[in-house]
Amino acid sequence: MDPTALIQGKLRPGEKAIVVADAGIVQDWVKSPRLIALVEKQSEHALIIFSPQNIPVTCSNDVSFSNAIPIDHEFHCDPAFSKRKGPIPDFCWVQDYWPLCPEMDSSSAYDAVSVNDIAAIDLCDDAKGDGLDSDGAVRRRAIAMGEAPIAARESVVRYQMAQREGAFTDIHNFRIFVGTWNVNGNSPPASGLLEWLACDSEPPDLYAIAFQELDLSKEAFLFNDTPKEDEWTRAVITSLHPKARYRKKKQVRLVGMLLFVFVQERHDAYVTSLGGEVVGTGIMGKMGNKGGVSIRMEIHSTSLCFVNSHLAAHVEECERRNQDFHDICSRLSFSNFMPPKTIKHHDQIFWFGDLNYRIVGIESNAAKAKIDAGNWSELWSKDQLKQQQKDGKSFMGFNEAPLDFKPTYQYANNSDEWDNEKGRAPAWTDRILWKGDHIENTKYRSHPTLRSSDHRPVSALFNVGVKVIDPVRYRKIYEEVMKQLDKLENEFLPQVTVDKLEIIYDVVKFLEPQSKTLTIANTGQVPVQFEFIKKLNDSYFCKPWLSINPYADFLKPGEKRDIELRLKVDPTTVARLNSGQEQVYDILVLHLEGGKDLFITVQGDYQRTCFGLSLHTLVQLKVPVSEVPTGKLLELEADRESEISACNAGVPKEIWLMVDRLYNEGLDEDELFFAKQGLDVEIRAIRDALDTGTPAVLPGNVTSVAGALLLFLESLPEPVVPYRFHQQCLDSSSNYIACMRVAAAFPDHHRNLFFYICAFLKEALLHTSKNGLDPRALATLFGAIMLKEPVGSPGQGLPARTEQAMKARERQKANFVYHFLVNDFVDATGP
Amino acid sequence: MARDYDHLFKLLIIGDSGVGKSSLLLRFADNTFHGNYISTIGVDFKIRTVEVDGEKIKLQIWDTAGQERFRTITSTYYRGTHGVIVVYDVTSGETFANVKRWLHEIDTNCEFVNRILVGNKNDDPTRKVVLKEDARRFADQMGIQLFETSAKDNINVEEMFNAITRQVLRMKKEESEKTVQSNETVNLRRGGKHSALKKGKCC
Repeated sequence: MDPTALIQGKLRPGEKAIVVADAGIVQDWVKSPRLIALVEKQSEHALIIFSPQNIPVTCSNDVSFSNAIPIDHEFHCDPAFSKRKGPIPDFCWVQDYWPLCPEMDSSSAYDAVSVNDIAAIDLCDDAKGDGLDSDGAVRRRAIAMGEAPIAARESVVRYQMAQREGAFTDIHNFRIFVGTWNVNGNSPPASGLLEWLACDSEPPDLYAIAFQELDLSKEAFLFNDTPKEDEWTRAVITSLHPKARYRKKKQVRLVGMLLFVFVQERHDAYVTSLGGEVVGTGIMGKMGNKGGVSIRMEIHSTSLCFVNSHLAAHVEECERRNQDFHDICSRLSFSNFMPPKTIKHHDQIFWFGDLNYRIVGIESNAAKAKIDAGNWSELWSKDQLKQQQKDGKSFMGFNEAPLDFKPTYQYANNSDEWDNEKGRAPAWTDRILWKGDHIENTKYRSHPTLRSSDHRPVSALFNVGVKVIDPVRYRKIYEEVMKQLDKLENEFLPQVTVDKLEIIYDVVKFLEPQSKTLTIANTGQVPVQFEFIKKLNDSYFCKPWLSINPYADFLKPGEKRDIELRLKVDPTTVARLNSGQEQVYDILVLHLEGGKDLFITVQGDYQRTCFGLSLHTLVQLKVPVSEVPTGKLLELEADRESEISACNAGVPKEIWLMVDRLYNEGLDEDELFFAKQGLDVEIRAIRDALDTGTPAVLPGNVTSVAGALLLFLESLPEPVVPYRFHQQCLDSSSNYIACMRVAAAFPDHHRNLFFYICAFLKEALLHTSKNGLDPRALATLFGAIMLKEPVGSPGQGLPARTEQAMKARERQKANFVYHFLVNDFVDATGP
Repeated sequence: MARDYDHLFKLLIIGDSGVGKSSLLLRFADNTFHGNYISTIGVDFKIRTVEVDGEKIKLQIWDTAGQERFRTITSTYYRGTHGVIVVYDVTSGETFANVKRWLHEIDTNCEFVNRILVGNKNDDPTRKVVLKEDARRFADQMGIQLFETSAKDNINVEEMFNAITRQVLRMKKEESEKTVQSNETVNLRRGGKHSALKKGKCC
């Protein structure tokens, strides 16, 4: 389903889901899926965050509210950079969602969200608890419900390393010199710039040097090309502090705004990820006569951003300056990073230049008088920048050192006198501000001896702390994090316990099913899909005498399932167990999807029976099966190919016993063989009587004896009609003479039994008036049993026969037997 | 997007019942040890991520049942294995004598695989019966690296797993170099493709 339509279904009337994106929230050690919807109501916007309850999400009920965050109408999430126009949105409609959002409650920081407080919402940040020992913070329950799988390991590692940064970083001190000068289109003074750039006794580690109005010519403005750039570059390079060697890392210019960054050569290798960008905010809001140029970099592990800006001029353009500031903030982005970094994405920001804020609310001459008297501190409150900052309209969150120097604008040409032409009050137009941790300002001053412009250069000196990673500690903590993640990953592998690993059955007897229960409990932290799987060389996951129900299922953590393991030896499996080709022993493989395998041993003592012994063995046994040592029995079964002497080729005594009982008591039984199946308990008693020889007369009702006889014949590993004659019999089934010829060729013991059964059936048919037997029906029943389909014969290897072909074969089998039920076959038994 | 790992290797731990296969795995993956013996009835695995020469390697380490009756089933788990850790117990000569059988088991079930021999429970000299020199001689004969470890006292466990991981990594690199080389051969000698492939396979 389209996620937008789905989310729309969760919203109130008048609210519109504009776009829905897949997202994730990293909390400590796991990343959980979320959906973020941008929702609009009457031109107010909010991000509403949903957590999926089911994956995949298919309907509105599959997601629940998790957070609602209003955003101001310029999409600024960071208060420091936000600026609003027009009426202040009230976001009441968003607040209505908060009671529905569990993630809101967890973070008191959101309790009193006012529009001003709409902070950069770091979705990574609302994790509670911290550190390796707070396993409780891992949202195990959620994971158990499949809501929050361990995923995106990389992002979890990054998050954890960021949380622990302090443990593997040292703070190294760096001295940064920031200078700014509006040079009013003039060339560098012949005397050089040493008195500005090298006025301190010790050399700084890094220089950020900014110029404005480098070139006021039309060419510079229109073609962004100026010969002044080289002049000033040379002047700067020759005036850097003589006590150290510097390397220029970057230089950016937009029309008249130029910014350099130099670092001492010894730090060169540690300065990385450089970027330079420009933003024009001048004519049409785009041209480069005003705006900003910026350089960003990383020194060791601290990111720094230097912004040189020239904001709108003129006393009355204060709002315009504010807007320039905001435009630079939102438009300047370092596009060689993915995602692009903006100014605020830096640990330390230095913002300087000709910001053009003026002194207002005091008459020009009064201001000059105060300045000349050295009382300029009385003008601080008249400074527009201070006022705008105070009102939260511009440069919010930025710091500035006390303006302990004379205003730097506007001087008469090459003099220390104020320019009185326009009658303006002097102003601190040239400023240096900063934002970020570990920044200490030590100097903030102007350099009035450089008189070549109507501005005076300004500089500031900072001691900043730069994060330096200690590789040894980093590695140790990284390994800890990896280990912890591995540990969790291992914990979240499927785990079950079973109540027993060995299933032992009581004495296993033919036709006596036994059931055992195996209980599988999900003792792990995640849902488990379990399944009994086949072993490499097997075609099925368990032996044919076993059935497992259910053989596969799904368990939630804490859930249990009883598995029934039912063992039953029936006519299809009894022969292989009798002959020792197979044991009542198997190892079942219980597989957990995505996890381990358990081996479950199944075993039981098998009690051999005459059912399922080969005819070859049966005719040679003179005593009941229970009296034959197992070894002897296995020997006989293994030797089925040997010749049987004529005297041994009689009908097995077990069959004789059953037929005799039927002959004596069952011939008049209504629908013998068809009426009832016979009772299991009686058939078992008959089985025991045949196996042990007692009682001499078979127990049970005649229908049970008839059922036992059918089972006995069905269980023969090789049917009454030997497999090698099977096809021949079918082929000759239309012709009695041909059928007799084939039957005459059966081995003695098979032929004798075949005719013995047919003779008995013929006898039974003489009693049709009482028992209602029909030769066609009898032939069909016995044909199917006595001409059992060869197992593994060439016919079986062929593609499955059509139902029609199978029916035709069944008819042929019936026809074959039918001949012998309705014809006199004395001749056929001849030599 | 960054991948969670550069390589995924499957390791298999085999050896007689009770030599400490599960303990070695538990020590390496979870850094824990349990004194009470629970026989492994099945095959279980744990994962651990390690870094070797700046490459992130995710190890999936399979612990197998050592009991004789499971031998045929466990042999099916050799498939896709990069490295096999054969463990004996230094306090039991019988388990060391059986190492040959386990090595044979590897030969039957794997074509090319890295192997390492580990004498575990090496924490009590008074109980030690398999001398290091004997084990060393045997290992040298077989061309296998030998480690004597103690899962209980956490001796040499990391080192042993690191060693087999390095072996597997080295083999993987050599193989990919070989592939590159044989590809080059194909490119240089047109028509000689067949012989080049054959050469690549048999070395």
